[in-house]
Amino acid sequence: MLGIGGATALAGCSGNGGDGGDGETGNGTDGDDGTDGGDGEDSGTDTSTYATAAAASFTTLNPIYNDENGAGNAIARALDQGYTFNADNEYVPLLYDMSTEDGEVWTFEVREGLQFSDPYGEVTASDFVYLIQEVHQGGWASSVSATYWTGVEVEQTGEYEFQATLQSPQLLWPESYEPLLYPIPQDLLQPYVEEEDAEGLRQDEELLELQFSGNLGPYVLDEWQRDGGTQYSRNDDYYLQDADDLPDVFNEAPYFESAEIQVLGEQASRLGALETGEVDSAAIPPERVQEYQDNDEIYVNQIPQPYNEKLSVNMRDNGWTTGPGNMFRHIPFRQAMAAAIDKQSLIQGVFRDFAETHFTWQPRFSNFYPPEDNIPMFGVGDRYGSEYARGLAEDAFEQSEYEYGFDGETMVDPDGNQVQLSLYHSAGQETEQLMGEFIAQELGNNLGIDVSIEAIDGTRFDTEYYTTTDFPTPERNEEGEVTSVPDELVDTVDGEEVEWTSPTATNPGPRNITGNEDWDMEIVYGLNTFPRNPLTNAVFFDGATGSYNPVGYYPEFDAQTLFDNARQASSEEELADALVDLFVNIAEEQPYIMLAFPDSTVGYREGLEGPIENFSNGWNLPAWRYEQ
Amino acid sequence: MGFGKYVGARVLWAVVVSLIITTITFLLLAAAPNPAIREAATQAALQGGDPSAAVERERELRGLNQPLYVRYMDFIRSIYTLDWGWSESRSQPVTEALLQALYYTAQYSIPWTVLTITLGPLVGVYSAANMYSWRDHVATGFAFFGYAIPNFFFGIILLLIFGVWFEVVPISYDTSAPVFSLQNVRQLILPVFVLVTGSIGATMRVSRNESAEFQNSDFMKTAKAKGVSPLRAYAYHVMRPTMVPLSTTLVGQLLALFIGSSLLVEVVFGIPGLGRLTFNALISQDTNLVLGSTLVFTFIAVVGNLLEDLVFTVLDPRINYDDR
Amino acid sequence: MATKKPEQFDRVDWSELSESRRFDLSINSIGMLVATLPLALLWLYDYQFVGEREATFQAIGLSRNLDPLDYFFVFTLFLFFFYLILPLYQNPRMTRYYWKEFRRNRPAVVSLGWLGIVFVGGLIGPLLISAPEQSILTGHQPPVFLSIDEANVANCVGEVVNGRCQGTWQHPLGTTRGGKDVFAGIVYGMTISMQIAFITTTIVAAIGITFGTVSAYAGGWVDEVMMRFVDIILSFPTFLMFLLILYIYGAGLGMFILVFSAFAWGGTARYVRSKSLSVSEEEFIKATRISGASTYRVVRKHVVPNVASSIITQLTLLIPGFLLAEAQLAFLGIGDSAVPSWGQLISAGRSDLAFAPWIVLSPGIVLFLTILAFNFIGDALLDALNPEAEAESA
Repeated sequence: MLGIGGATALAGCSGNGGDGGDGETGNGTDGDDGTDGGDGEDSGTDTSTYATAAAASFTTLNPIYNDENGAGNAIARALDQGYTFNADNEYVPLLYDMSTEDGEVWTFEVREGLQFSDPYGEVTASDFVYLIQEVHQGGWASSVSATYWTGVEVEQTGEYEFQATLQSPQLLWPESYEPLLYPIPQDLLQPYVEEEDAEGLRQDEELLELQFSGNLGPYVLDEWQRDGGTQYSRNDDYYLQDADDLPDVFNEAPYFESAEIQVLGEQASRLGALETGEVDSAAIPPERVQEYQDNDEIYVNQIPQPYNEKLSVNMRDNGWTTGPGNMFRHIPFRQAMAAAIDKQSLIQGVFRDFAETHFTWQPRFSNFYPPEDNIPMFGVGDRYGSEYARGLAEDAFEQSEYEYGFDGETMVDPDGNQVQLSLYHSAGQETEQLMGEFIAQELGNNLGIDVSIEAIDGTRFDTEYYTTTDFPTPERNEEGEVTSVPDELVDTVDGEEVEWTSPTATNPGPRNITGNEDWDMEIVYGLNTFPRNPLTNAVFFDGATGSYNPVGYYPEFDAQTLFDNARQASSEEELADALVDLFVNIAEEQPYIMLAFPDSTVGYREGLEGPIENFSNGWNLPAWRYEQ
Repeated sequence: MGFGKYVGARVLWAVVVSLIITTITFLLLAAAPNPAIREAATQAALQGGDPSAAVERERELRGLNQPLYVRYMDFIRSIYTLDWGWSESRSQPVTEALLQALYYTAQYSIPWTVLTITLGPLVGVYSAANMYSWRDHVATGFAFFGYAIPNFFFGIILLLIFGVWFEVVPISYDTSAPVFSLQNVRQLILPVFVLVTGSIGATMRVSRNESAEFQNSDFMKTAKAKGVSPLRAYAYHVMRPTMVPLSTTLVGQLLALFIGSSLLVEVVFGIPGLGRLTFNALISQDTNLVLGSTLVFTFIAVVGNLLEDLVFTVLDPRINYDDR
Repeated sequence: MATKKPEQFDRVDWSELSESRRFDLSINSIGMLVATLPLALLWLYDYQFVGEREATFQAIGLSRNLDPLDYFFVFTLFLFFFYLILPLYQNPRMTRYYWKEFRRNRPAVVSLGWLGIVFVGGLIGPLLISAPEQSILTGHQPPVFLSIDEANVANCVGEVVNGRCQGTWQHPLGTTRGGKDVFAGIVYGMTISMQIAFITTTIVAAIGITFGTVSAYAGGWVDEVMMRFVDIILSFPTFLMFLLILYIYGAGLGMFILVFSAFAWGGTARYVRSKSLSVSEEEFIKATRISGASTYRVVRKHVVPNVASSIITQLTLLIPGFLLAEAQLAFLGIGDSAVPSWGQLISAGRSDLAFAPWIVLSPGIVLFLTILAFNFIGDALLDALNPEAEAESA
């Protein structure tokens, strides 16, 4: 899986120890070959060590600053986060329980008996409140979670209790991972808070080496070798051993004397280590799954994922470089593109059938997946093919003020030249390259578009093409409220005047505010579809107000109302109704050309108990063990 | 010009060359966009702050708001104070990162260098002693083979054969293996072998051709006539004079190989040494670490060239200092 | 040549004589000009009249597009022909002598044959074989006569026998994960390798010879400064620098050739300098000089021919380094993946090595053989052209 999580810092790190437990990697430039960012779980022939392999080394283990999935797993071995979700998608309290009446005021009850290492003492509500108020909301530290706590009022209400009041109710707040916290001792933070010393906090050795973790994780971090990985030994005092509210299996957790994560850059090394038993689990590339399924010592789990592969089409002014009138802006044209790409072949060829078709912005396992009768399934069956796609494209040409059309097989611009578009993918990412060439072929065969494929470094694409930091900002008063919006940030969308009150690098303003370089299409980034809390998807599809809209998409259905309905929903049913409606519309409009949800395929040593073929895989990692 | 003065001048010149190269690196990096600043802007924007103010703050924090020459002076100062900054991609000081990497690089490059220096001339002289025999042909063939086969390709193939098929060597590098242990020998034997085959060819060829000259020299004949044992005769009368021209090419060649191949071999064998450190620093755009490792490589290259020059002058009395 | 016959020796206008000689073109140069002119015109046409993303020969129905690199490549081929092959033909006696010397070295003859195949394959192959195209449903096909576990392929082009997919002549060397034909990839890689070989040597030779001779003849502090500059060039960590440039600014094959040749001429310049210094000490050069020949003429007529053979040898030995560097960059996954080079193929097959080793092996062996061939030939040239030279530069 490539570039998953991409540019957004939207998903929190759930800290699920297992592979693919959640999905945020850095910036798509992870790892040497990066072909699978997943880390596997490994426990070697020697069943006293639980060892896994990771593809890339960790940038930091400082919990406040980590935004990588791999490092999140490394931290999770030694430090639990607030809560997790079990196989049935139910909230499982770890460090604290969360409850609410109305979705607006949330009460956090901190578990008793949580201990930091000496000299920091017991974990209390004040540690969390201090972390939120002084670090996340302090404005100086640029911590990773800072955005999640903007506008949230936090108040300590007891030694083990604090309350958070949201600006607007959110029934699925925990599911967004936003209120997920690491326990950090107040006394450790204090000197940095007083000095507002972000650099010092970032480089603090106790944080980097997790020396304060006390009884807060299943293992204790012994050593972090920057290139080799991490080594842990069993934490005999692990607090979950005494927890009554969890399955009994936790009473003796963890079941391994030690743990380690080996950084093995080469895929061949990771697989070899799995075969020889050096590690107990590793991600398996799709073309080799069957081979490992036939292996007696290894079993392969196929775990559906919410991270997608999609084709972005640039509707901003730096897109559609082939001629006048950006055709991407017309819904039928995007539908035509979706209909021109054979999803089944893509999945069969590139992912060797270990992927799901992707029609709307939810994976099939989501509770909010709309009934399939209601959504147009572009790219399969009748809705795939040259004739069908051309028909849709003709509809789009009619909507356009420019005279595009077909000259025999080729799509031509008003001057009669073939439509030529660029497609960017990350350099060195083989899966992306395969996808890119396949898309180019399909668009060429079925729509007569000449697509040129460009490989580019992920970071460079991000800075120069995809996003921009050069945009006007609204004026704000002391409280941070917007007082006036510059003219550049006002535009008319579908006849309505819209203001960009909080422009971001990934949604810097109207379509005429763009990155430095032109681009037409990209597959550099995959995105999370947030099946647990689909409301989060508002950042993608809420037009001007969404914080992530590099492609310049403005919904032509009433997305705002649907999102508002969902936000104000007082029951799960109401919420589901609103969201299902939303996803039907998104399937229709194809804001991104949605292609596939690749599964995560992970191989484990035979006998390892615990892995499940579910998105929550790894939630109960401390309880994993070998059959006796 | 005396010898001392000549050496002084060469050393001074080496310093100048390093300075020029690091300056170019510095300028290249200074012209590149800094990902950290971008990140700050994104963060600020997401938090509803002012991105341009955040960029300014970040630039100030990193000292990037100062004029280029001030930053350059700071950079030069930091070179000799050994304060090379913090590596963002590894969360540790740059010097520490470099030292750690050097530790792993040394583990394979020391045996490699020793083997090349000892085996190369030995096989070369042996080859010359048996010139045009099948042994000579085998040795020559081996030299060309080693020289021509791309190191990384050879490494992959050996790893496939001995690691995957025969499972006699581990296919992943274990950093926790003690330096002097069987485990470490097993995991380093292939990289060392690959590097030695790559570098031994040139040494062998030079020493073969050089020693061929001395082989039939009068002093050799005299030695043989006097009844000096062949071993002794070769050691004293062939090896020694051969070493003179050899040593002049050796350093430079080894260094060139080191800089080019170490990265590839480290990538193939998963050794977290200097080459991979540099490469990873580049792809994660860790500016401080890139500067630091470039500095190390430049230093190695310049010192190597310097040594080569000095050895040449010391060994070959015909060289006139004034002439160079 | 002077047009009028001077009656008296002291009336000869020596400066005019030497001036006129400068523009007196040899048959080689005329050939070169005649060949280059249409090329330049074609380039102009391409540059001026053909749309940026249109194929050069679209007007006559060919889809092959030419980029600046191709033009330069053809130009270097002309150079190679008119100043290396043609002179050999013009001097049959010398050619026979060289050939006799060269032939004694059997591996070198075989190598020459191999390079001939690569050269011709690189020139003509792309016209006969269509570019390797992705076909994701037929990935990982085995080479003919070999087979692969059915589990590893999506669809098998050939027959499936006992659960193993058999190779077919459709893909004689199998296919990559993306279903690209490995054989076609190798043929296209030949073009790339030849481009690298010819263009880099041309640039290196041009800069090296100019720099070396100028330095030698200028003498004094100019010489000193120029040679110190060469020192810097020689200690430059080129590979590292290129990585830097590549990562910060992005770079394709053209940039690769430019950067690597821009830092590879140091040795040539040094060599040419010392050679021209010693040549200029020769009696006949002194005589020419006294008789009023310009420096340019001395260099052009005496120095270059005298050092040409050694330069050619040295350049032959430089080429493998460039091919290797390109392959290494591609292997690291940071080369231009749109360039169908052997290194790209090797890197594409790297993770499939355990079950589809042909993707790495075939281009790897071809690369190895090519580098070996260049080395053998360099070695043989060393012996043939310059018997007393030592094998040091190998």
